[in-house]
Amino acid sequence: MLWLSVVIDNACTQLWDAWGNGAARTSLRVSPAVYAAVAAERPGEVARQCPLTLLGLPLVADPEVATYEPVAV
Amino acid sequence: MLTAEENEALCRVGPGSPMGNVLRRYWTPAFQAADLPAPDCPPVQVTLLGENFVAFRDSAGRLGFLDELCSHRGASLVLGRVEDCGIRCLYHGWKYATDGTILETPNLATSTFRERFRHGAYPVREAGGLGWVYLGPPGTEPPFPAFSWTDAAPEELLVSEMIMDCNWMQVQEGSIDSSHVAILHLDTLATMGAGPRSVGSFDFAGEPWDLDMPVPRSGNGGGPDRASTGDVPQRSGGGWPSEDNAPRIEVENTPFGFHYAAIRDVTGDPGKKFVRVTAFAMPYTAFIGGAGSGAVIVVPRDDCTCSSIGVFKVPKGTGGIAASRRAGGVEPAVWGPEPENRRIRLPRQDREAMADGRSFAGFRGGNRVQDAAVQLSEGTLYDRAKEHLVPADLAIIRMRRLFADSVQRVAAGDAPLGLGEDYDFARIAAASAVIDTGQRWQDLVPGNEGAGKQPRHR
Repeated sequence: MLWLSVVIDNACTQLWDAWGNGAARTSLRVSPAVYAAVAAERPGEVARQCPLTLLGLPLVADPEVATYEPVAV
Repeated sequence: MLTAEENEALCRVGPGSPMGNVLRRYWTPAFQAADLPAPDCPPVQVTLLGENFVAFRDSAGRLGFLDELCSHRGASLVLGRVEDCGIRCLYHGWKYATDGTILETPNLATSTFRERFRHGAYPVREAGGLGWVYLGPPGTEPPFPAFSWTDAAPEELLVSEMIMDCNWMQVQEGSIDSSHVAILHLDTLATMGAGPRSVGSFDFAGEPWDLDMPVPRSGNGGGPDRASTGDVPQRSGGGWPSEDNAPRIEVENTPFGFHYAAIRDVTGDPGKKFVRVTAFAMPYTAFIGGAGSGAVIVVPRDDCTCSSIGVFKVPKGTGGIAASRRAGGVEPAVWGPEPENRRIRLPRQDREAMADGRSFAGFRGGNRVQDAAVQLSEGTLYDRAKEHLVPADLAIIRMRRLFADSVQRVAAGDAPLGLGEDYDFARIAAASAVIDTGQRWQDLVPGNEGAGKQPRHR
């Protein structure tokens, strides 16, 4: 099973750490598996051509990113 | 968000389910001890984690917690007679001791069966006004989590249980969520603090609307304190010194789960910050900053029903439990202490008061009624694939993470997180305070110790 709980917890922690240091984050790079899982769960948003997001950040599929180690950039 | 598969795994609690296997590894609050007030009193039926049980107190005052249906032909032991140190099934008279021993089988002359067989019975103990049970595999019981209030005498505790017809996770997520407080509970804040109170275009038109609502005491004081003194609810001043609705969230793992701070700017004082520290003891118990000397416990009855149980110490000399009950959020017309009144019946939402600026939420009855309204509105079991979390939801995110990790651990044969072995659970504390911007919020709750690293995902 893919645990989005873990992906999101790791991403959210990164965001607060970044904001605490005064840095902005504008997107979230995730593994293709995570991207596909989010897309599969949100067909309505895909159909409406809304950007796929987590934590308010648009997702970018990146094969260099490990499943449970998203990168906020 | 969660995938549909993950949502199912984290929300369903029945026997053999991933989360059911996790929850059965903790001591679980099952019933109110006051529902079994005396030896040989009538038993009570308990649905817990999707299973049905009977709880009773035998002639010697010992608690028993057994599978509900008789081992003979399945009649409910809730109908049974509690007598002579056991509970006897009405159907054919089989009698059980608190440990599940079959004492008598009147329609079976030989003793071989009853000597070799034992009815399903579970460890049970009384603490903090509640009966706690352990439903996990024999021999895996963790130390009992002796919270600061679990050794208090019954007359020192206010226990208020609200039964809600929705999945427990919706309620648990609400109990640890800080960023809704200054919005959903705006009506409450209006009775607590001076200064403007607004959300969007809404501004209070004048005096607080629900003058009868339970009101937390300002600062670290508790919900039960104020009304138990007989005060007429009125603006207490300074209880919520912030208009910042986007708190910064800082979370740390602890031996018992995690604690976090919701940090807000203080209106008119840039040198200060308003901090509410909430502690979450896995998997049921939240110690909420500003909510008094007690805790809120959310327990799944089954996948579609849960109990939200407030346990608060009653301050001495303040009129006792009866005087405090209302301050704990009990609303006779909406829910009440009697077993038949514990299931909440939401009051009508007062749209007129919302429109004319007297009320933001339109629900009389205080925070717990307002919380129940929104949590029930999510449906019986919310599909979290549709949600859009924001960083202010970090406490909810962390709770799910710890549950997800625990599911993995238990499936691999390990213990779940938060059992806190060698940790003194009585040290767990919450806090609500205005502190200097340079001050550490952790210093408000030194007993929560142990900002541990989260175990790596398997």
